Amino acid sequence: MITLENVTKTYKNSTVALRDANVEIAKGEFVFLVGASGSGKSTFIRLLNKEETPEQGHIYVAGKDIGGLSSWKIPYLRRNIGCIFQDFKLLPTKTVFENVAFALEVIGRPRSVIESQVPAILDLVGLGHKSDSFPTELSGGEQQRVSVARAFVNRPLILLADEPTGNLDPATSVGIMKLLDRINKTGTTVVMATHDRGIVDTMRRRVIEIDRGSIVRDQARGVYE
Amino acid sequence: MPVKFDYLVRETTSNLGRNVTITLASIMTVAVSLAVVGASLMLRSGVENATKRWQGGIEFVVFLRIDATQQQIESLQNDLDQSPEVSKIVFVDQQQAYSEFKTLFADSPELIDSVTAEDLPPSFRIEPVNKDVDAVESLGLTFEGRSGVDQVVFASKTIRLIQQLSSRLTVGIFVIAAFLLGAAGLLILNTIRMAMFARRREIEVMKLVGATNWFIRVPFMLEGLIQGLIGAFVAIGALAAFKPFFQQWLPSAQDIPLVGGFQVSGGEMTVIFITLGIVGIAIGAIGAGIAVSRFLDV
Repeated sequence: MITLENVTKTYKNSTVALRDANVEIAKGEFVFLVGASGSGKSTFIRLLNKEETPEQGHIYVAGKDIGGLSSWKIPYLRRNIGCIFQDFKLLPTKTVFENVAFALEVIGRPRSVIESQVPAILDLVGLGHKSDSFPTELSGGEQQRVSVARAFVNRPLILLADEPTGNLDPATSVGIMKLLDRINKTGTTVVMATHDRGIVDTMRRRVIEIDRGSIVRDQARGVYE
Repeated sequence: MPVKFDYLVRETTSNLGRNVTITLASIMTVAVSLAVVGASLMLRSGVENATKRWQGGIEFVVFLRIDATQQQIESLQNDLDQSPEVSKIVFVDQQQAYSEFKTLFADSPELIDSVTAEDLPPSFRIEPVNKDVDAVESLGLTFEGRSGVDQVVFASKTIRLIQQLSSRLTVGIFVIAAFLLGAAGLLILNTIRMAMFARRREIEVMKLVGATNWFIRVPFMLEGLIQGLIGAFVAIGALAAFKPFFQQWLPSAQDIPLVGGFQVSGGEMTVIFITLGIVGIAIGAIGAGIAVSRFLDV
């Protein structure tokens, strides 16, 4: 599903975010990216979404080399990739329903699809009863569930999560992880950057450790360190 | 992918409403600059109409009698053709004179109704080789008193002055208007940029979930275009309201001899209005286009 071949990414201030990375992630895998702050986890994720372009190497997503993707095709790549973030990125002026519906609306899905898909996904994340609330009226965990719903409503092949539990307490985090696990069980490939030792050690999934841009460990059923 | 109409209407109107003050500023700037352009175009066509017979170096006009015979006309034409002192001759028959008359007095239909082509004299408009005042006068006077000739009329200094003034004034006004239009374009650019800044979170989410670039851009483009268009409408309304005064202020045909009235016909007004509409839309589209391509990093 995802392949990185000799990928190197350097930022303008000559920080090396990723050095000669080679990774192969199969369809339906669940992968943790771990490492200190600034080690290159976020860059790894942003490269998959083509928010960043590597200097060297090739990145294949769903069988396509995304290096040569022309800019007008990037949106179609992103429709296959759901994203969630530490800060949720919800729109404060829209209700829970509208936030999720927005993701379908702006890719041109018809009203009928929105009317049927959005309530279904909100039920899946356990927020069916809060669809008319605004994000500020929700707890952090609930907000993250909305953002998971928004990322998954279009049934993407891949879900990218950049420290999704970074702002949540351990108990709430467990709920989010259960949700991601359920999504992964539907066949969706999940790549999650995290600092949360407890989660990584409990779930025992594949762990890729990045240290100052280099992949130093790639371990099936791994632990945080 | 088609961009849905209701989505466009909703996004564009909410954008326009979000920055009411700056949106008004851009619309007013567009309106003022276009009104200036329009007024100068009106002035130009007014002067052109008023001095129509004196354009292209014509220095004097030989008016024929209404009852001049074909023979008399042909003999005069022959003499003019052969004269080494005449460089150009334009013959205006009664029908042409009548259609010119209709343009000049477009705003007085009762006058047009009371006059027919047969009431107007045919004439020769003559450009002499030597433009010196005395030479022109002596050449012109040789045709006075000929059979079939009613009178010879010379371009006065006033007419030359009016033409010169109007052309210089038009250039000056256009330079000012160009600056104003530039300012209007920049204002629209900034309005759109502010609208994009106000909606940066939405834009970020749209990019993340895979909205196409055009889907994100179109509402902003439309917003700029609408600002330009509304500005043009305001300018057009102002000019339409101002037109009667424009004709009252300028001297009428009676005040300056030998000149038609400073009329602007309905057709000419329509052309001016369409021009303003197009320029307004263009300014809006250019301003928004630059904003969208430079500041909407998709």
